[in-house]
Parts: sequence; C-alpha cells; structure tokens
Amino acid sequence: MMHPFEKIFSYQLSSRLEDTGVYTLTSQERSWLKLMLEHPAAAEALEPRTIEKLRECTLDDGMPDLTGGLEQKAGSREVQTVHPLLGELRSVLRRRQGMRLQCRTKKGKLNDPQPGIPCKLEYSMVKREWYLHWYNSATRSLMHTRLCHIVSAEEVRMARSRYEELSAQAQKRIAEGPRYEATVEVIRVFNAELTRILHAFSCFDKRVEFDEEERTYRIHLTFNGSEGEYVLTKLRFLGKRVKVVEGEYLKNRMRMTARKALALYGAEAEAETGADAAGAGYAAAAGPDVEARTEAPSSADTRPAEPEGSGGLASGA
Amino acid sequence: MAKESFDKEIQFLRLLALTGGGYDRQQFAGRLGISVHTFDKTVRRLREVSGDADFADLFRYGYADSAEPVLLFLYRAKSMKESESRRLPLLLTSLKGNPQTAAELMDACCEQLPPDAVMPDEKTIRSDLRYLEEIGVVRREPGGRPYRYILNNDLTDCLSRKELIDLYEFVDIMANTQIPSVQGYLLRDNLKKALKAAVPEEEWDDGLLEPFSYKYHYDARILDEAHLYTLLRTIRLRTRISFQYFSPKKRKSYAAKDTNPLFGREGEARRESTLPLKVVYDHQYGRWYLIGAAPKGRFVKFRMEGMVDIAEEQQVPEPYFTLKKADLDERMRFSWLIDTGETVTVRARFYRPANGQADFIEERVRLQGQWGEIVEETPESFVYEIKVNGITEIRPWLRGFGSSCEVLEPAELRQSFIDEWKEIADYYDASV
Repeated sequence: MMHPFEKIFSYQLSSRLEDTGVYTLTSQERSWLKLMLEHPAAAEALEPRTIEKLRECTLDDGMPDLTGGLEQKAGSREVQTVHPLLGELRSVLRRRQGMRLQCRTKKGKLNDPQPGIPCKLEYSMVKREWYLHWYNSATRSLMHTRLCHIVSAEEVRMARSRYEELSAQAQKRIAEGPRYEATVEVIRVFNAELTRILHAFSCFDKRVEFDEEERTYRIHLTFNGSEGEYVLTKLRFLGKRVKVVEGEYLKNRMRMTARKALALYGAEAEAETGADAAGAGYAAAAGPDVEARTEAPSSADTRPAEPEGSGGLASGA
Repeated sequence: MAKESFDKEIQFLRLLALTGGGYDRQQFAGRLGISVHTFDKTVRRLREVSGDADFADLFRYGYADSAEPVLLFLYRAKSMKESESRRLPLLLTSLKGNPQTAAELMDACCEQLPPDAVMPDEKTIRSDLRYLEEIGVVRREPGGRPYRYILNNDLTDCLSRKELIDLYEFVDIMANTQIPSVQGYLLRDNLKKALKAAVPEEEWDDGLLEPFSYKYHYDARILDEAHLYTLLRTIRLRTRISFQYFSPKKRKSYAAKDTNPLFGREGEARRESTLPLKVVYDHQYGRWYLIGAAPKGRFVKFRMEGMVDIAEEQQVPEPYFTLKKADLDERMRFSWLIDTGETVTVRARFYRPANGQADFIEERVRLQGQWGEIVEETPESFVYEIKVNGITEIRPWLRGFGSSCEVLEPAELRQSFIDEWKEIADYYDASV
C-alpha cells in the first residue's frame, strides 16, 4: 500500500541518520521502481543485467495498481524519455572532458564537427525532449542543441587546467546572459480564475503581488532569452484573462499577434476600424508569425527571432 | 492517536509555490482562511521540517533551476515521538549488515541511549520490528525462533558503483518526468546516501547528485499525490467518499476546523459526497481532478486541490460501479481534459512558419494535438481536425498558437476567437 506520509520518511528520523551512512528503502519506493522498470525508458537507461538485478530485488514488492484509476490528459506525446546519447554525454560531463560534436541543423544540413565542453543536460517537459547546453570553444559561444540533432559526440581528452579555463569562460557567458522582466496583470473580472492562471505561470521564476485597494493581482516574471517564447505562448494560452503591463517586448509581440490574428479572420481591431492605412497594411502583411518557437534555437544565438517592427527583447531588460 | 492530517500544510505550500511567496502574512492568512497566529505556527513547523530554509527563496525558481523537488519536505512532516526518533536510528544502525534478534537489539539500544533516556522493553522493540518489516525496511532472516532481522538494502547492495550511478540517473529522470513521483523522489534521496557511501571521498563530485535539469515543470503537482493513493484505493474498493470541498473559485482555500475556539468564526465548507471513478492528471496546468458518479446518471468533477478531510463511506455493488465506470470511459473518449459534454468537430488551419524556417508549428501540433489529425496539407498551411467534447478545454491550446492558427469550425468558436483577439488588441492598442 502506497502511503506517502509514513513515519519512516520523517525529518526527525532522517536528520538523526544523516551522518551514520544508514538509509532505509521501503517497499513503496521499490514498488514505484518496479513500475518504472516496466517503462520502455528503463531498457534504454540501464544495462540488461542491472534491470535483472533490480527486478529480483523487487520481487516481493507489489506493483502499484494505477490502471483504470489514473489517467493523464492533454500532455505532449512522450516521444523521448531517455535519449541514447545521454549516457555518453553524462560520462564526458562526469569526467570533465572536452568533446567534438557534430550536429545537423533544424533543416537537416550536416555541420562540421565543433570542439567544446558540455555544460548541462536539460529535459523540456513541454517538448518532451532532451537538450544539451554546451560551450563551443572555437566560436566561444554558448550553444543549446536538441539531442536528436546531434549526429556524433566524441570525447576529447583535455588537461584539467584547460577544462577549468573553458568552463570559466562558459560560466561567464551564462552569467552575462540577459534576464528579462515583465509584469502581467490578471484582469479583475477573472480574479476567480486566479489559481488556474497561477498554475499556468508556476513553471517560471515569479512573484505575485496583490493590490488590496484595486483588488488586482500582478505577476512579476523573470526569464531568460530562450524562455521568452514560452512566456508568450502562455500569455496567448490565457488570452484575455491577463494583460502585460510592463515589458515592452512582450507587449509589442502581443499587439502583433492580436493584429495578425484578426487579419487572418478578415477582422480588424476596434481601434483600427475605418480607412486606417496601418490596418490595411497589416492585412496585407498577415502571415504566421514566429510565436511558437518555444526553445527552438539550436544556433549560438539563443535569442528568439524578432518579428519586424517589434521593439526587440533588449527593451524589456 | 488520531490520524495526522496535512491538509493545512498542503494548502499552505501550494499557495506559497504558486505565488512565489509574494503575499504578506495578513494576505496569506486571509486567503487560507486561517488566523495570522495559525499562519505563524504553520510557518514555524514547516521551517523546522525543511531545515530552516527561507520560504520566499525556496519558491522562487532558481536561475540554476535545480532538479531538487522543493515541496518534497511535506512528506517528511509526519511527526514522531521523541523516544521513538532516538530509538529507531539505533535499531536501524545495528541492523545494517548484521542480523539480530529482538533481545540483542534491546541490549544494543540500552547501551547506546543516554542514561537519562527511557529504556525500551522488548515488547516495544518487537513492535518497532513489526513496523519496519511491514514497510519493507527490514527483513526476517530464514530460520526458526528467535527470529533474526536485518536491514533490507539489497536493492543498492547488489549493484556495482557504475550501476548505482545509472540507477540514480534513471530514478532522477523518471521521478521528474513521470506521474506519480513522490516515492521516486524519496528513493532518489536514499540513493544519494548509497552513492555517497559507494564513491570514495577523493573521487566525490557534487555533480553526481544533480545529473540533469528539467524545464517547465509543475512543482506543485506532487502536493496532490498526498490524496492520490487514498482516492485510488477507494476506486479499487468501489467505496463512496465524503469530503470537504473548497471550490478553487472561492477565495478561501482552507478553513480551520472549529474545534479550536479561536477559529470558530470561520465558515465551514459544504461536505460533498461521491463515488470516485477516476483520477485525471492535466498536463496543461499541472493539476489533478477526481471524477465521480452522482445520482441521476450525472458525473461530477472535483479539483483535487480543493478536497480536504476525505472519509470513506459505504461500498457500492460491483455491477453498479462497472456500469458507471464504463459509461464514464465512453463519455470521456473525446475529452480534451475532462469535459463530458456534447461532441463537436473542431477544424483549424495552422500556418507554417515563413522565411524557410523549420516547421515547428506542425511539429508542435503533432506533439500536443492528442488524437486530432492533419487532414489537408499545402506548402503554406495545413488543416487539423479533431472530435472533442465541448470547445472550452481545447480553446486555450489553439489560442496559444496566436496568429499561426485560424479556427475554421465550429462557427461559434471561430467567432469567439475573433471577439477575444479584438479584446486583446484593445488591451495593447490602448496602452501605446
């Protein structure tokens, strides 16, 4: 029986056991593992021999019965839980070595192998996909590449001093990377939907402020360049419930989206009715904009693409 | 001892996690429907459990986005008697790699406890062993009486160092990407200790403990796993439940019980009752729902975060449950989330990116569009079609594509998009 509030998990006990090297494994933890070993990812992440040993150790533990009772909805298709390159890249990371990485571009073109060091392996819950953050030592730039675009990753032995030097350069680039701020206001008539709105923003760095007098909630968001597109997707997702009140870049992008969307439907914004030349111009220029580019960049430039006429991210900094 | 309830802590942590600690004490207490005094008491208690962390900082998403589940400490909040919290570590330490009888354990315990502590009798030790055996932490060695017990760490003991690292990384990935995850996170914490013991100090690297990071993750989802197993159990047993329900649309999310005169003025929420049929996890918002059967063939949906004080009621006959469950499964076949309303066909045209960019639009539609299909394709655009219950639940997803998506049908949805984009355009045009 799974019961997550078990006294064996109590902090009073774990703090006493802290320095003894003693730890306890309960059958509910083993049951959970047993369930996970059934997932196709297990065979990709673990050696067959390891799986066999783990199965043997969990023989006496029940399998949590979730079928029929639990259903998951509206998720991205789970395309990739473990990627075959994950193990290799982790071992380069663990040993603090360099690598030569050959990648394809998004359009399928094969690039020349590039030297560098891996920085971090990251999984996106939205894309259901792995990314490698790495430092290209030839171009001295930070890269962000989908594992499915990496053709080969070859370890290159490297003196510790050289590794530290490159790693320091990479850290410096990361620290210098711009952070953006924006404030999103919950339109008051939608205050009742606050928890839903907060849930939508809960995967970002944020702070919520409540103005008692105006009975208004404001969400202060902080994000980096590559997260900007996903913030935009969430804003469009919530639609008229929220409004960007600070952050010129997001405001401009939202304005563009609304105008272009209206042009698609052959409708125009209220403010632009009449023989407004700008309105007609938008209709002519209407086409899909680049809004869905969540985490897309795999080039050195991790800034989201800017549509024409927008203020650019820099104005939000 | 009365069963300890963590409802208050859960509500509290959820609010903290969702707001990033931005409310002041008064606002916080007000929203939780508790007094500032209770608020302070809860903070003190949770601080103790979490190791005195600064709460506001804890809930800001760090730039280094660590994979450490900050809310896991909720599950470490179960309290223990002081004497027990001294005795159990001694027992567990003695049982590591060394089979012992209850009598031997009692001696070991008495030897190591400080002289002023209450010495346990053999009955207490036996009951401790029974508990530890029941939860699978210790195992009885083969052989007759007196029984000998040993700490059951086979899972980690049988692995080489390389295998242990592989296992740790596997558990890290699965706990962070799969549902449910609480037990995975607890296991991960224990494997950390196994790793520390297996890797020699001179080779130790903290990077071993955080091999990966995870982006766009709903932290607060693990809070609702507190009720998950209770509900799954009642589904399995075909048992009705009653509970206090705080609709998320109400301002207060938790009302203190009026057993304490201090909080007597707080209004009690209505007690609901239902026959649980299914738990649904919504990946779009990271939220959980319970769907139950109500009289007259209706289905009722509850947000799990609003459910507190769940009590099991009477069982229903198996045929009744089976009928209801089959009916629900049928009615939910076309639910984008949980809508069991009328099925409509939604058609939308998606525009591919211009300027020769890779087609991330189609990629995203295929990834997130559930059972919908692409029925028409041109070099510039494609038409996506889906049969879905109602238009409410799919609407935000379609809107998320901005001007890359044009709703074609039904007309009502198309018109509502036009109206909404007009409103949004007004928000921003007015602010120029």
